[in-house]
Amino acid sequence: MLPDWVEPVARYMLEEGLVGTLKIAAIALAGSVLVGITLGTLLTIKFLPLRSLIRLYIEVWRGLPILVTIFIIFFMLPAVSRQLEFDALTAAAIGLILWGSAQVAEATRGAVQSIPREQHEAASALGFGWIGRHSFVIMPQALRRLLPPLVSLLVNIIQNTTIAQVIGATELLEAGERQSERLVAPEPIGLGEIHAFEIYAGVMAIFFLISFPLTRLAAFLEKRLV
Amino acid sequence: MIFALVATFLSDLSSFVSDNFDGLLDGLRRTLVVSAIAIAGSFFIGLILGAARAHRIPVLNQLAAMYVEVIRNTPILVQIFFLYFGLPQVGLRLDAFTVAWLAVTIWGGAFNTENFRAGFEAVPSRYREAGFALGFGRMATFLNVTLPIGGRIALPSSINTYISVLKNTSLMYVIAYPELTTTALQIQALTLETVETFTVLAVTYLVLVWTMSALIRLLESRLALPEERS
Repeated sequence: MLPDWVEPVARYMLEEGLVGTLKIAAIALAGSVLVGITLGTLLTIKFLPLRSLIRLYIEVWRGLPILVTIFIIFFMLPAVSRQLEFDALTAAAIGLILWGSAQVAEATRGAVQSIPREQHEAASALGFGWIGRHSFVIMPQALRRLLPPLVSLLVNIIQNTTIAQVIGATELLEAGERQSERLVAPEPIGLGEIHAFEIYAGVMAIFFLISFPLTRLAAFLEKRLV
Repeated sequence: MIFALVATFLSDLSSFVSDNFDGLLDGLRRTLVVSAIAIAGSFFIGLILGAARAHRIPVLNQLAAMYVEVIRNTPILVQIFFLYFGLPQVGLRLDAFTVAWLAVTIWGGAFNTENFRAGFEAVPSRYREAGFALGFGRMATFLNVTLPIGGRIALPSSINTYISVLKNTSLMYVIAYPELTTTALQIQALTLETVETFTVLAVTYLVLVWTMSALIRLLESRLALPEERS
């Protein structure tokens, strides 16, 4: 049914590529949410030096193309200090966390500020300090509003993991490119045939199958929760 | 001590810029040209397909919906690979410049279709009914009522799309189109002045992006609908 070359190519792309993509995406999502929610909550404190520092962080990492951020981490940091040398996968994940946490911080600020003042006052009256108030009273309510943007962020992170290909991290696009180059080589390594069209169409199809349900989910949550 | 370090770095930076000025300027110029083509292209795609979506024009509406979903749910980098490395296999060979502007135009057009659709749909239907009551046809009502109001509603989100279009031109590094990022990496490979290269690259992008977002705020207050003007 399918030509013979498809099976090993698909196996490599799914077992090496897709796994790498999901690994980078999982690290990037966890890091972005953790850093972003912390910074976004701190941004609601009315203390100017702290606020301008966080603002600068958000505007810089949102403003730079992610590719440039990843280049800075992968090529520039090792030139500054030997200790700041990361492998491609880690560098890509850090770059995505810097970008993603800036997005989450901005969304968190809005979500936290949308919680009525009375909730803060009631929590304080019950004896909660600032940290307890935010982690047990404000954040659980703000999370409802944060859920749709977080699902959209997940879609964007999954799609942007492909940028890791540029520095050679093993993810879906890189796996596809390796296979497409291998097939061009003469036998026994490859077939001496070009299959770039099918392979990149396949990569697009896999990303579509992952992203489409998630964008539907984000749209649904947006309607349900707001 | 720290002051001396900063001073040395700044003088390194300025000699780096003056040594590589022509190369960097060429790269910047190509980034701006590709962005300008793509911004204009995605404006018209968004305008036409957004109107088709909002007014449920048969066939075009469904085709536009498919286009938007496919582009928004696949990574732009894979789209670039497909255009540049995949299409030659079926006999369609595009040069790097064509892929550069085409890829970001297709991408920006899809996002802009959504921006404009949302803008046009946000125009209260009583405004359109008022247009019809005044004797305007469908086209005249769109041009005189829906477009001026809905276009302004769509303005902030569409400018955000244009900013992303500009940032995404950096991905043309993978097809070696010599825009700003590609040029900077070539200079870095030649001079090995890594820190200087990436500092200049990052600052240039930030200046471009921050200028565009300052423009949003300016335009927003200039073009705000009368009832929203404070």
